[in-house]
Amino acid sequence: MASRSPVLVVKDLNKSYGDHTVIQSLSFTVHAGEAVALTGRNGAGKSTVLRCVVGADRPTSGTVEVLGKPVSETSAEFRRSVATVIDDMDFFPDLSVVEHLDLLARAHGLTDADALVDEVLEEVQLVPQSGQLPGTLSTGQRRRLGLATAFVRPRKLLVLDEPEARLDVEGIAWLGKRLGEEMTHGLAILMASHEPSLLEALGARTVALGGSRG
Amino acid sequence: MSRGRNRNRKFKNQNRRQNQDGQKGQPGQSQAKAAEPVKVPDPELIIDHEPEEFWAGEVDEKQLLLLMGDWRKGRTTRNIWQALGDAYVMLFSLAVILAMLISLIVQAQGQASTCSATGCRTARELLPWAALAGVLAFAVAAARIFGPVLASAAEGFWLLDSPINRSRVLVKRLWTAVAVAFVGGAAIGALISALTGSGGAAIIAWTLATGLASSGVVAFAAAQQGVERVWTVKLVGGIAGLAGLAALLAVVGSATGWFQLEITTSVAISSAWTVAIAGILLLVISGILARMRLNRIRRARLMSGGSLASGMQGAAFALDFALMRDILQERDAVERGQVRPTRGRGLGLQTLVWRDVQRLLRFPKPLLTLAVTAVVPYAVEALGMGRFSSTISALVLVAALVPFFTTLRVLSRTKGLMRCLPFTTSQVRTAASVVPGVLAGIWAIAVVPAFHGVGSGSHTPWVQAVMLAFVTAAAGYIGAIRWVSAKSADYSAPMVATQMGAMPPGLMFNLVRGLDMVALITIWIVLGLSPWISVVLAVIAFAVLRMGGINQEEMQQMQKDAQAQLKAEREGGARKPAERKVVTRKK
Repeated sequence: MASRSPVLVVKDLNKSYGDHTVIQSLSFTVHAGEAVALTGRNGAGKSTVLRCVVGADRPTSGTVEVLGKPVSETSAEFRRSVATVIDDMDFFPDLSVVEHLDLLARAHGLTDADALVDEVLEEVQLVPQSGQLPGTLSTGQRRRLGLATAFVRPRKLLVLDEPEARLDVEGIAWLGKRLGEEMTHGLAILMASHEPSLLEALGARTVALGGSRG
Repeated sequence: MSRGRNRNRKFKNQNRRQNQDGQKGQPGQSQAKAAEPVKVPDPELIIDHEPEEFWAGEVDEKQLLLLMGDWRKGRTTRNIWQALGDAYVMLFSLAVILAMLISLIVQAQGQASTCSATGCRTARELLPWAALAGVLAFAVAAARIFGPVLASAAEGFWLLDSPINRSRVLVKRLWTAVAVAFVGGAAIGALISALTGSGGAAIIAWTLATGLASSGVVAFAAAQQGVERVWTVKLVGGIAGLAGLAALLAVVGSATGWFQLEITTSVAISSAWTVAIAGILLLVISGILARMRLNRIRRARLMSGGSLASGMQGAAFALDFALMRDILQERDAVERGQVRPTRGRGLGLQTLVWRDVQRLLRFPKPLLTLAVTAVVPYAVEALGMGRFSSTISALVLVAALVPFFTTLRVLSRTKGLMRCLPFTTSQVRTAASVVPGVLAGIWAIAVVPAFHGVGSGSHTPWVQAVMLAFVTAAAGYIGAIRWVSAKSADYSAPMVATQMGAMPPGLMFNLVRGLDMVALITIWIVLGLSPWISVVLAVIAFAVLRMGGINQEEMQQMQKDAQAQLKAEREGGARKPAERKVVTRKK
């Protein structure tokens, strides 16, 4: 049974762009083995919250703590614990798909990198593209490569921005199953998602942002 | 137009009639049947036009282009003179910089022309050849990448797909590309021949030779574009590159006394005129062929160059040369498509270093370029311009080292991938700079004899030569780190009001990034001061860049993080019951 210690604590988070307030007094906690989904209409601030959580954006006020420490994107400890798949993912133009995954696995000190990379490649259905350079991948394939980067490394918190985007029905089902398995091992998940089947598969607690549509 | 409107009306009426028919049929049906979904028959599309009507008119391409020009002009809010008037501060600054540059050239030319050693004379005659070859290689490469004939995505979609004579639309593009090649080539030919201390006749000859040859090869590339033949263009580029390398090696060999090469000024001038005549012939023949084949260039090929040009234009407006290189590199990668994957080596930070080594083995071309740049200090010394040797060589080295910093570049431009690596920013930066650092060190060893003065009359002590070589390599290395990792102009920050309108702070610094480090480290050598000053400054500059540069935003963030940490610790401490210490006084 996974422990229920808090992995992520967001307290009184506020984020404004100039006079426009996007997030107001948002507080929530994500425990180990739990999935929390941010829901809301487009522009409600889901991605903004995720960017604040991973340290890509600074909150206007409020605190974000991961494993009991304030978020610091430049800290090695933070980078070791938090895997993120958000919209600012970049790739090396001269490294192939498999080389990206291999590099990340080795950088995290995984001694069985080869086997793990092959397994993840198979799971995200990128084996035929393993030798391709990222510039030649379709948007969907790039998205799957982004997801794969999160699976070839150790992680305590997984932050995903609309992971179902560009995935077909089978892909979403696979993702739900995969994330569910990881949750049983204590992984905490924070994601922004519009996909009810994925939220249902994970039994995710939802945090609604902004007003409802209409 | 009215005919089309009638067609539309007829189609709508047809739909309405069908719907009405369907509604009329419903009352006669039972309630049970009414509950069933009513099957509406697909509307029948009646096409009552004749195919010939599309060919009713002929398009005058010239009028069409003039019309497009009118539309564009109609949307402008200022004319060119008003724009220049607004930008007078920049123009004035450019004029001052240009004046300084000319003064520097005149001084350098004076210094070079006084040198009468064999090495100087040979270099003077050979360097314009090297410049010519370099310009041709560059012109061919640029022409191949861009087209040279190109069209924007909008033109490709709206204009080139219509029944027009494409060659009449594209002909202006062809001559523009040729003209740009002539002007660029001529300018570099003039600059190099002036810098080497050549006389007026030689400067004119080399200016025309380089300009005409450059425009000739661009016309040749355009002619090949019409028949979609790439290998010929690549071959010409390769030959030009090898010729440039041979010329540079001849300069070094002659300067260091490996062999004697005596070229008189009259021979050099007559050979320059020969090149110019050959350039004219190539230009005329290839130009005619290219003009004839313009109609055969595929739309996709035209638009591909156009989209690349528009991307480059966007980066150029932001003065972001690193982004321009990124665009070219991405395009190169897309052309290549895939590679034979290799598994990495090592764990942790080592794997980043090993991956850079594997890159070298996969893409060894930049190594050749780096090797060629080792010739530069020898060439500069051979010209008798030893004082400027460090600065000039370091500037060239910056360009040669940039391709080895792919890891650092990608990890610096966006934070996404950096966030995936379990290291601090400075650790990653250090690991990503190891392989280029080793290469810079090897380069320094290779150029020590040049700084010692091999082949020239005056000799610098070996210890000082070693120091100068390493300071130069460090300047190039640090300049390259700065070039690839400096932040782009931040358009989200408050703008600075200028005569040209609002500008993001730091935009103008983009122009000199990388070069600023070279100047900072090598200026002391040019001024004749101790190289130790350069050593100290190089160490400080490297330490700052290793941490991620002076990024005010990040430093503020670090300060905030530290404050938050301190506050959390204080609060944590406050919650603990205070331990009461009882001090008992000895009786």
